[in-house]
Amino acid sequence: MGRRAAVILALAALSITGAGAQQPAASSRDISGFWALTADGKKVPDAKLLPRVTRGMLDLHKRRDVHALRWCNPVGLPLMMDAGTPIEIRQGPTSVIVLAENSLVPRYMYLNRKHVSADIYDPSTIGDSVATWEGDTLAVDTVGFHPTHGVTSIPGGGFRTDKTHLTERYRLLKNGDVLSVLFTWTDPTVFAAPHTYEFRYRRLPPAYEPLNEWPCDPYDETRASFLGDPAPFGK
Amino acid sequence: MTIRHPNRPTALAAATVICGWFVAGAVPAAAQTKPESLTGVERLEGDWVRIDANGSGDFGGLTSKFTPASLTPSGAAAMAEGARAGAVARGPAFTENARHDQGQPYIVVSRPCGAGPFGGGVLGTNPDSGAIHFVVSKDAIVLAPERGGARRIYLDGRKHPDLRTWTPTGSGHSVGRIENGELVSDTVGLTRGVVTAGGYRTPETHLTERFVVSPDGKHLTIKYRWEDPLIYQTPHEYQYEFDRLPAGSYALEYWCDASDPAEQESVTPPAQ
Repeated sequence: MGRRAAVILALAALSITGAGAQQPAASSRDISGFWALTADGKKVPDAKLLPRVTRGMLDLHKRRDVHALRWCNPVGLPLMMDAGTPIEIRQGPTSVIVLAENSLVPRYMYLNRKHVSADIYDPSTIGDSVATWEGDTLAVDTVGFHPTHGVTSIPGGGFRTDKTHLTERYRLLKNGDVLSVLFTWTDPTVFAAPHTYEFRYRRLPPAYEPLNEWPCDPYDETRASFLGDPAPFGK
Repeated sequence: MTIRHPNRPTALAAATVICGWFVAGAVPAAAQTKPESLTGVERLEGDWVRIDANGSGDFGGLTSKFTPASLTPSGAAAMAEGARAGAVARGPAFTENARHDQGQPYIVVSRPCGAGPFGGGVLGTNPDSGAIHFVVSKDAIVLAPERGGARRIYLDGRKHPDLRTWTPTGSGHSVGRIENGELVSDTVGLTRGVVTAGGYRTPETHLTERFVVSPDGKHLTIKYRWEDPLIYQTPHEYQYEFDRLPAGSYALEYWCDASDPAEQESVTPPAQ
C-alpha cells in the first residue's frame, strides 16, 4: 500500500512538473529582488584540480586577489556572488543585471542571445553571460573572463582563466523566498572535472534599501596596511 | 562600463562580424527581443549613449546652450562654499608644471580611479561617449552607467526615506511612476554638489526627471527639473539626448587600477 501511494505521488509530481510541458507561473520566471547569502546557504565541495595546478599557482592568485581588493578594483566573478553583502537582481525583458553592494561593476546576463564573438569581446572580470529560461530555471552561460583582473579564486579551489567556462542554473524555491544557484566551472587548464557547487540565497524584504555607494578608498592607508599588498604585479 | 557595439574594431574584426552576421542569418537566431519593439516604459530597456544634440563639438560645449540656473543668494553662497570645500578635498590635481617634450607623459592626476560615476550632478549620464544600460524590472528600473555603479528608480510604491536618517549619496533616492507610458522619477537625498549649467544641490533638493522614448524607440530624451526654494529662484530645467545602441551591443568593463602608475599620466599623442 505504501509503495503504491509512493508511485501515485510520483506520478502526481510528474503531472505537475510536466517535464516542461506546462509553462510555469510568471512569477517563477522572475528572479528580481534583494538576496542575502548566509553561511548555511553554501554547499561547496573541494574542486578536483589538474596536477599542473601547483600550490605556487594558487598562492599567486591569492596574492593577486588581495591586490585587487586593496586597490578597490572590480572583483567580478565569482566573488561578487558572495561578497559579504546582499546582491540585487533585476530582470528586464532583454537582460538581467546583478548588483553587489560592495562592487562597483554590475554584472549583465543578456537574455536569448548568442555570445559576442571572441574576436571582438574584451575579456572582463564578469565575462560575457547569455541566459535562457528552461522551464522554471534560468540557465546562464559565461565565457570571456579576464585571466588576471579582479578576484580570480573560485570557491572550493582553483581559479578562473581566459579558458574558463561557467554555467549557472537559477531556480526559485519555497514560493520564491529562496533562490538556488548551481554553479559549474570548467577549464581544461585548471579543473580535472567540472566543479559544481550550490548557493542558496534568502529573499530580503521588498522594502530593503541597499547601500548605494560602498566606501572603498584605495588611498585609505589604514585599510591598505590592514590588507597588505605583498607584491606588485606586472600589468 | 562602456557599452560596446560589436562591430567597432578593426577591418579584420569587422569582416569577422559580417561573416558572423551571415552565419547568424543561416542559423535560426535565438528569440532575442528588440527593446524598441516593446511597449510602454519597457522601451527604456537597453543601451543608450548621450549625443551632442547642439552640435557643439566638444564636452564643454554640450551644455553651453542650456539656460543657466537662476540661484538665490543662499544658493549662490552654498555653491561658493561647496567649490571651496571641493577644491580642498581634491588636493593637487595637477602635480607637474614643467615643460614636456612631445610623447613624454606627465602626471595629470595624483589619485586616479577614486571618483565614482555619480559626481558632477549628471547622475551617471556622462558626456564622454560612455553609455547607460537600462534594465526595466517590475518593481524598479536600474540605470547602470559608464564607470560602474548603478542607480535605482523604485516603482513599488515606496516613499522616500526620512532624510534625517538617510546618508546622502551621489545617486540619491529615486521613486518613479508611469505617466502615459513614460517614466517620471523623483529624487532626493543627493550629496551636496554642482549641477549641470550652474546649478547646485543638497540632500533636500528635489529632482524630477521624465524619460521620453521616441516613437521609433531609437531616441531617448531625459528632461531634468531641479527644485529647491533655498537654491533656485525658478526651477532649473534642461534635457539630455541619447541614441539607442545597435542590437548586440554589450557593456564594456571599465577598468581603472589605482595601483597602475600609468593611470596618473596624460595621454601621449603620437608624433605628427
